[in-house]
Amino acid sequence: MDIQGMLAVAILLPVVAAVLVFLIRQYQLRGLIVIVTAVALIVNSIYFLKLDLPMNFTPDNPIWGTIITVLDYAILLFYIYAGLSLKNWLVLIFALTQIIPLAWWEFGVGASHALEEIKPAFLIDNLAVLMVLVISIIGSLICVYAIRYMYDHEEHKKLEKSRQSRFLFWLVLFLGAMNGLVLADNLMWLYFFWEVTTLCCFQLIAHDLTKEAINNGARALWMNSIGGTAMVAAMIYLYNANGGNIEYLSLSNIIASGGVEAFLLLPVALMCFTGMIKAAQMPFQNWLLGAMVAPTPVSALLHSSTMVKAGVYLVIRLAPAFNPVLGMIVAVCGAFTFFAASVLAISQTTGKRVLAYSTIANLGLIIACAGLRTELAIAAAMLLIIFHAISKGLLFMCAGTIEHQIWSREIEDMEGLAEKAPLTTFITITGMLSMFLPPFGMLLGKWMALEAVYAVPLAAILFVLASAATMVFWAKWLGRLLQVTPKLGKKIESLSLSYSVPLWSLFVGIFVFGIGIAPLYDRFIKFAVDNVIPIQHAFTEGWQIILPDAATALSLEKGVGLLGSYPVLPLFIVFAIAIVLPLLFVKLKPQELRPIYLCGEHAGDVDTDEWYAEADNVSKLELGGYYFESAASEESLNAWVYVIAIALLVIMFSIALGVSL
Amino acid sequence: MNQVWIAIIAVVVAPFIGGLLAGIDRKLTARLQGRYGPPILQPFYDFFKLLGKSKIATNRTQFIWLIAYLVFMITCLVFLVLQQDLLLLVFLLGFAGISFVLAGFSTKSPYSHFGANRELMQILSYEPILLLFALAVYAQNGSFMISSIMENSTPLLISLWPVFIALVIALTIKMRKSPFDIATSHHGHQELVKGIMTEISGPYYALVTLTEWYELVLVLGLIALFWSNPLWVGILIALGAFILELLIDNVNARLTGGLMVRICWAAALILCVLNILYIYFMRGVA
Repeated sequence: MDIQGMLAVAILLPVVAAVLVFLIRQYQLRGLIVIVTAVALIVNSIYFLKLDLPMNFTPDNPIWGTIITVLDYAILLFYIYAGLSLKNWLVLIFALTQIIPLAWWEFGVGASHALEEIKPAFLIDNLAVLMVLVISIIGSLICVYAIRYMYDHEEHKKLEKSRQSRFLFWLVLFLGAMNGLVLADNLMWLYFFWEVTTLCCFQLIAHDLTKEAINNGARALWMNSIGGTAMVAAMIYLYNANGGNIEYLSLSNIIASGGVEAFLLLPVALMCFTGMIKAAQMPFQNWLLGAMVAPTPVSALLHSSTMVKAGVYLVIRLAPAFNPVLGMIVAVCGAFTFFAASVLAISQTTGKRVLAYSTIANLGLIIACAGLRTELAIAAAMLLIIFHAISKGLLFMCAGTIEHQIWSREIEDMEGLAEKAPLTTFITITGMLSMFLPPFGMLLGKWMALEAVYAVPLAAILFVLASAATMVFWAKWLGRLLQVTPKLGKKIESLSLSYSVPLWSLFVGIFVFGIGIAPLYDRFIKFAVDNVIPIQHAFTEGWQIILPDAATALSLEKGVGLLGSYPVLPLFIVFAIAIVLPLLFVKLKPQELRPIYLCGEHAGDVDTDEWYAEADNVSKLELGGYYFESAASEESLNAWVYVIAIALLVIMFSIALGVSL
Repeated sequence: MNQVWIAIIAVVVAPFIGGLLAGIDRKLTARLQGRYGPPILQPFYDFFKLLGKSKIATNRTQFIWLIAYLVFMITCLVFLVLQQDLLLLVFLLGFAGISFVLAGFSTKSPYSHFGANRELMQILSYEPILLLFALAVYAQNGSFMISSIMENSTPLLISLWPVFIALVIALTIKMRKSPFDIATSHHGHQELVKGIMTEISGPYYALVTLTEWYELVLVLGLIALFWSNPLWVGILIALGAFILELLIDNVNARLTGGLMVRICWAAALILCVLNILYIYFMRGVA
């Protein structure tokens, strides 16, 4: 297939499929279209690997540029309409701050003619392909999951008129927009796709049309519109400050400048800011936290492969155009978000909210890596993108599956789920372990990040504290799932195929990518890193991700020359011995079972969890999780978080302004 | 092949050293408290007696996590003797601790949960110190490999003494000594029900004891790294730190968990961070 066809499948096929899905009201047929689209997207994204990268492409027909301009204004006009009809002035204001400057620039200044000349439209390099793979594979699996999920969702809500078509429309469209976003090189096109993702996000969050859903959707809209405004400002500045030249309206030219052109620093900082908002960095974390009111496939999509990943993608892309000081401050901003979100996650009692804070924290880590701008840090960022997408996609789908079994999102209600829904819990626990247990990819990324962070001591400290907090909040949740009284649990589990296929696919993905990380790294990620920061020397030099025999031998031969090593395969063997084998072979005979120790007040034998309370009243034993409310609650910490986060942003812009003007 | 033998010998020998140290601990503590104390080999007698007890439990998952605790701890020790990546060792050690916490959470027992929550606070306290220790070693040596420490002829203690002090605080937590024996204690006078250990009995309690011996050897080994050339000085320093812990244990009472987290984070932030910054500063000047 040629590049034109592949781009069409990646970007336009989801659009066509979305329209079809919207029009078809029959459950089976609609599901079939989603599945076919998903398969096509996945196959197509794998074909991207066969291309001779990097390459670029501009459609011959100028009509595409016109269509994008028209749709740009259509979207912005819709935001104005949304702002007016919801009476949400923030939405209105930030829609106006985009549309007025844009119209003035294109038609008042008369830039629109020159803008059509920007080439290339698309730049396909390894980083872009990496993103396309993540979006197409994981995003598609989530769409498949959504088919059944939305059916159950509406059954439970007893809706009279099905709105599943509308939901799937925005969900599938999202994938197309994301693919466009990561492939675009022309800033005008990038901006267009950026706005489409914001629009999809708004529509999906507000989907249930409850008051809370609409409010949270509007919040996501106005916060991301601030980002859009910053992007418009950056584009106009790039055009005007360069004397009406379109040279720097293409991403690759900005990056090629390598942070040397002083006047470029301000627009780079503005676009970086746009990316940080989309990646829900502090102080803009609230839009992503609010997004959890939406049905779970939305959260899964926003958190794993789309939306927030667009934000970190842009920051990583722009990393070569930072100057050292800007890089440092971006690293500290990201590290601060990593730290603050990890600590706040400790006090959360809702499962999806813990997941959301964990996402924000990991995005902070990725952005911090982009700010560090060393080869190792950028490689860490890319590994984190891949593994976070897999694990978080899986975890949100698990959260949704659990929700449809117990009809609650509260961690306390998940008590003893290991007995009630063993399969779901097994997958969930594996997903959680993959977020912080040594052999898995996420920890590898974190390890690389920590080894790379030494250059910015402040970020290093924040990393360290955040790592400790991360362990605590995962362990607390795991503990609630695991708490079991044998013989008392009732099985409530039933998994339909539309649930289990995506769940098991990602489950397998965790292991396949985790174990196969060395070839993945050598054959692919290395080149993607090279796209961002040209590799001066083989950057794996001194940093080993090793296979069994080579491990110890190398460290002895090279001695001090070796900077760090992460023996992936031996660690997986350790994991198998430590957890998998005991899980398979450790058995407990019924006669070995005993009731718990309650100082002699336990009322009965192993088949009860009651005890003699005061005056020998038999009461049920109830235990709860501990959430550190006094130390880590949002009420006590948020004020500090906002002050520090805003201060960091002010410092960032002061530096950028100071250098640029 | 040489490497494999080193690993095997370490794994076999470490419990003997750990058990012996535990025996010394009990004897010395008894003397400090004016008691005669058990024989030095008492921990081994206890261990074998526990192994012979019948296997009873409140549920199965707990076993799995206890085995994971042991296996990860042994892996850490292997990493140490094979002179692997220090940062990765710290991450593994952290997860070993988490496995133990999950063992505590697995059973629906209030005492076990108390202990597990407190164990979590302990992890929250010492993990930053250990991670900063790894970063400080990197700042000093330019490598995360333990092998680089072993080859460096200048002892770490000279430039990293503040980190050493912080690590001694972490050692107090790891050895379950007062004032930081929050999750469970070795002394009867501290608690009537043994926290996170409440629901662990018989052979599995023996397993936990074994893991604690490995842990003791591992942490003392990390401390010995501060004077790695010649290593016997480092080992003496580690033994000195061990004796010091016993003294601290006997002159302190248990603190609250919150205070422990604060003290440890303060120690980590002040001692370790200043130490690291000082190294950077000196490098900049030079």
